[in-house]
Amino acid sequence: MEKRLIKKDALTGIIGKIAADTTVYAPVKVEDNVLFKVLEKGDEPLVTFANSKNAPKNFFFPRTEVMLRYTRTTKGVEFSGGEKEAGEAVLFGVRPCDARSFVLLDMLFDQEKYKDPYYIDKRQKTTIVSLACPHPPYATCFCTSVDGHPVSSDGADILIVDLGSEYLAEFITAKGEKLLKYFGDVKADAAADQKKEAIAAQAEKEIKVQIPAKAIKPILDVNFEHPFWNTIHQKCLACGTCTYLCPTCHCFDISDEMKSGDGRRLRNWDSCMFPMFTKETSGHNPRMSQKERWRQRAMHKFKYYVDNFNAIACVGCGRCVMYCPVNIDIRKIVTDISKL
Amino acid sequence: MENPYIPYPVEVIKIVTEVDTKDIKTFRFAFVNKEDEEKYKYIPGQFGELSIFGKGESPIGIASSPTQPGYVEFTVQKAGVVTSALHEMEVGTRMGLRGPLGNSWPIEFLEGKNIVIVGGGFAFTTLRSLINYMIYGDNRKRFGKITVVYGARNPGLLIYKDELEAWGQRDDIDLNVTVDKGDSTWKGREGFVPTVCKEVAPSSENAVTVICGPPIMIRFTLPVFFDLGFSKENIITSLEMRMKCGIGKCGRCNVGSKYVCKDGPVFSLAELDKLTKEY
Repeated sequence: MEKRLIKKDALTGIIGKIAADTTVYAPVKVEDNVLFKVLEKGDEPLVTFANSKNAPKNFFFPRTEVMLRYTRTTKGVEFSGGEKEAGEAVLFGVRPCDARSFVLLDMLFDQEKYKDPYYIDKRQKTTIVSLACPHPPYATCFCTSVDGHPVSSDGADILIVDLGSEYLAEFITAKGEKLLKYFGDVKADAAADQKKEAIAAQAEKEIKVQIPAKAIKPILDVNFEHPFWNTIHQKCLACGTCTYLCPTCHCFDISDEMKSGDGRRLRNWDSCMFPMFTKETSGHNPRMSQKERWRQRAMHKFKYYVDNFNAIACVGCGRCVMYCPVNIDIRKIVTDISKL
Repeated sequence: MENPYIPYPVEVIKIVTEVDTKDIKTFRFAFVNKEDEEKYKYIPGQFGELSIFGKGESPIGIASSPTQPGYVEFTVQKAGVVTSALHEMEVGTRMGLRGPLGNSWPIEFLEGKNIVIVGGGFAFTTLRSLINYMIYGDNRKRFGKITVVYGARNPGLLIYKDELEAWGQRDDIDLNVTVDKGDSTWKGREGFVPTVCKEVAPSSENAVTVICGPPIMIRFTLPVFFDLGFSKENIITSLEMRMKCGIGKCGRCNVGSKYVCKDGPVFSLAELDKLTKEY
C-alpha cells in the first residue's frame, strides 16, 4: 500500500489542487452547520471539524433524483430518456462511520440481480477520502459497537490520519492511488505506522459508549410480538429526522410530476416512520401505528439487514440520537432489547 | 448497465370490460419494440409495473400466459391514481411496462402433481395465467388432474367469462364456477368458495392447492384443505403489498426479512408461517 506523509498546513492546499482538476465535495461551514458542498475557487475545506450534520449518502443517493424524463405526444405520453451520467468526483473529509455506510449501501444497491444504475454510476466515479477521528468528536459516537472504528479505512479509497505533527495518507484502493500525485513524495515510514496504531488504540478508548448491537439479532428473531414494542414509539412524532440523517437509511418513493407536456419521474427519500409509507389503495395498512413502524426500523437495522446481508445497518454515527426532537435513543433501545 | 427502472414502451391493443360494474378491465399490451417482447420472458405468477407517465406505477399480476405470444395482459381494478388513469385509456394509447418481477408459481414443483386452483373474485388473474399455461398443448401432460374452483359474489362479477365457457367444454379440467347469489339467468352453482371446495373435495394425494382471493375467503377455505389432508407445503398463495421499485430496494413491501416484490409474491403456507404476520 502506498503511504505518504503530509505537512499539517499542506492538506487544504492539496485538496484545492484536486478541486482545480475535478469536482471535489468537501465539508465547509454553512452558518452554524458543517455541510458537504462542491468546493469552488477560494473555498477552504474544513479539516478540523466534528462531523457533517447530514450524512454524505446524498452524493450517491440524492434526496431527489430524476430517474427518467418523458414528453406528451399525439399517441399519449412517451418516455424520452434517462438521466445524464454522473461525472468523476472526489468526496473529501468523510468520517470513518460515514465511509462505512457506503459499504453497507453497496450491499443493497449493487446486488448481483437488480443493480441500481443511478447509485452505482455515481459511486463508481467518486473517490472517497476519509478523515480518521483521532478523538471521536461526540458523546453519541458508538461506531465500535457496530463493526466500525474511528480510524477505520472501511469504504475509503484514501484514509487520512492526523498524527499530531503531520498527516498520514494511506492509499487503500487503486482508485485512491490515482490521486497519489497530489500528495507529494514523502513516503511514510514504520514510525508513522506505529504512531497511527497508538492513535487508533487511543481513539478506540475515547469512545465511551458500548452497546450490545451485535448480540440482539437472536433476541429480535423471536420477539416480534413482545410487549416491549408497545413502549418505544410512544413519544415518536413520526418526523422522519432519524431516517433522513441516517447514513444507511435508503428507503425511497417514486413519483411522477408533469408540467405542460413535459414530465419526469423522481426518486425521493422516503421514511418508514411515515404512516403513508405502507398504506395501500384499499386503505389497508400493514403497519397501522407508530408501534409497527418503529419495530420495522429497529428490525430492519439489527435483524433484517443481518438476515439479508450479514451486516448491521447502523454505523454508530449518533446523528439520530443527537437530532431526535423527543430524545429517542437507539442506543437505549438496543440495550433494552438485549435485556428482553 | 441494464436499468431496471426504465419501462418498456407498450401500446394498448385490446381492452375487455370484465364485469357488470365496469370497474375491472383486462388490458392487452403489445411491445412497441418487438425485441422487448423477447426480454419480457415471464412465468405465471409474476407481476409487472404498469407505468403511466405523469401518474406513476402500479404493480399488477400478469394475467396472460407465456404460451400466448405477441402480447401481455393485465386485469386491473379501478382503484387509485394509476389504475383510474389506465381505465380512461383507449386502444392505441402508449404507456410503459416494467418487469417481469417477483418469483412465480412454482411450475417445476407443480409438475407431475394434481393441481387444485382456488380463486375468489378478481384475484383470479395470475391463476388464469397458470391455468392457460398448464392446459396449453403438450404442457397438459406435465400436470395431473386439474380442479378449478372459482367464485364471485354474483354472475356479473365473474371475470374471463368466455374462457370459463371454453374450459367448461374440456374434459381435462374439473371446472367448478360458483356465485354467492345467482340471478334469474344464472343456471350454475350457488354457494361460497369454502363450501364448494368441501363439496368438490379434491384428494390431497400427490396434490397441490394454489389459492388466491380476498382474505375472508382464504380464511374460511384453508381449514377445508387442512381437513382434506393438504400440508402447508402444498398450499401456495400470492401476497400483495404496497410497492414502488419492485426490485427489493425501496424498502416498503417487506414481511420480516423477505421482500414481497423480490422474494415473493408467491409463498407456500409453510413459508408464510416462518414470516411475521405483517401484511
